[in-house]
Amino acid sequence: MTGEPSLVWVDWRLAPGSVLRDSLWRLFFLALAAFALLVLLLSGGADRFLASRYAIHAVLRTPLAAGEGEGLARKVAGLPPVRAAVYKDPEASWQEFLLAYPGIDSLRSGAGNPLPGYIEVRLRPDRLTSADIGQVTSALRNVPYVERVLAGEEQLPRLLRWRRWASAFAWGVFGSFAGLFSLLFLLQERVRGISLAGEFVFLAERGVPAARMAAARAAGAALSAILLASAGAVLSAAALRYLLLRYPALEQLVGPPAELLSPRIAAAVAGFILCAAFLAAVSSLIGLRAARAGRK
Amino acid sequence: MIEAFRLGIYSRGATLWDGVDLAFESGSVGVISGPASSGKTILLSVLRGERQPDAGDVVVSGESLYRGNAAAARSFRASCGHVPDRFADPAGQTVGDLFRLSALAGGGMKESERRERSDRLLAMLGLEGAQDWTLRSLSTSERVRAALAAELLRGPRFLFADCVVETAGTPFREMLGGLFRALAREGNTIVLAERRLPERWEAIAGEAKAAGPFRVYRLQVHPAGSAARPSDPPSTAGNVAGKGGSG
Repeated sequence: MTGEPSLVWVDWRLAPGSVLRDSLWRLFFLALAAFALLVLLLSGGADRFLASRYAIHAVLRTPLAAGEGEGLARKVAGLPPVRAAVYKDPEASWQEFLLAYPGIDSLRSGAGNPLPGYIEVRLRPDRLTSADIGQVTSALRNVPYVERVLAGEEQLPRLLRWRRWASAFAWGVFGSFAGLFSLLFLLQERVRGISLAGEFVFLAERGVPAARMAAARAAGAALSAILLASAGAVLSAAALRYLLLRYPALEQLVGPPAELLSPRIAAAVAGFILCAAFLAAVSSLIGLRAARAGRK
Repeated sequence: MIEAFRLGIYSRGATLWDGVDLAFESGSVGVISGPASSGKTILLSVLRGERQPDAGDVVVSGESLYRGNAAAARSFRASCGHVPDRFADPAGQTVGDLFRLSALAGGGMKESERRERSDRLLAMLGLEGAQDWTLRSLSTSERVRAALAAELLRGPRFLFADCVVETAGTPFREMLGGLFRALAREGNTIVLAERRLPERWEAIAGEAKAAGPFRVYRLQVHPAGSAARPSDPPSTAGNVAGKGGSG
């Protein structure tokens, strides 16, 4: 036996039961954290919900030809903050009006349809800001066919404030959960470090360098965290996709399942996995330090 | 070869011992005897490179353990086996776990090979089938023999044993004497710390040398006029212990 001992999985070799138990708990919490992160990233806190509810209406001066109205809507849809712009012709406007105020059909009998049609503009969830709303409304006001732009400006500050609070609250809850999870990592490593302190002393007394043992354990913890976080992310993404397909109403709150594969989400998940690895490595080092301190 | 020069330890504001000179050649069995609380355990830890002495130095194969190359000191420690006189055994840990740990310290070993060799070592030390016994269920004698067997798994070139012969008990003294001498014949260095030299070992022990509060004996490894004494363990004993590359 002249080879250098492989210490990356030393905890697994010395206490497989304890490592397995800790890993199962970690997988559970990592999957939970990944699920929460994916929901937060897709929904943007309350952004998706508010964006689905909020719309800017550009009321036209006179009825336009169908092609002209749709062309105008397409131009508006080309603005960066705009998710969708739909032209509603006078007839569609009238039908909507009747749905909102039933029993007033008689208004039309005399002078025909009094409504000129309008363009409904919906913003991207991540662009629901006063600056972006201002950009869209000023662009619409410069269009000669547009008579009035209804953007709910008087209610807007309250809406945006509420959006900020909701977002802060959601990320705060996630942060608290992440903090709690970090504490769990730390406690697990500390408990295992203390329970294996005798074994570490045994190895150190027999020429295994303590620094190499600490570095190898940290590397092992990081590697296993990468595997567990990846598995957790895949599991949670699959669960979220299933829920969104099974309950389409959730899309308004969370977002479309197709966005789960977007580069933005992939980058965030990669960051999540790296954070879990870093946390595991640091916890391992702190746990070993606690074990050493406990032996002194 | 392990040489210690003018070793001194100061403990609790007083000199425990000072000016201790020792030398243990390769392929020898040395017994350091001294009364209780004379500092035998500390001396062994100093000789192993675990505790820096307050005075003096330890030199192994010409390299100082405490003032020389750290890598050389680490390499020396990696080639050492150590059987302490006290154990703190966690609940549920078994004899097999001791071997697993020892194999890990030695650079790893295949499960089947470890199992086979540990079974042979345990049988040699009177602990047949003890792999799955919990350490807490062992008697003091069994515990120290299990620890010795686990150390031998790595085939250490230098073996330090603290009160092992006394703790193992009378029935095992002759067997242990034979085992240590067999190991020494293979070129290993055995350093034992005991309160007193076992009576029946006096015949094979040379003249005691005084070193501070200690008396140091050197056992005859190759008895004059005979190839092996009746008390020697089977000839495979040393090979089992040394197998795996003691050098």
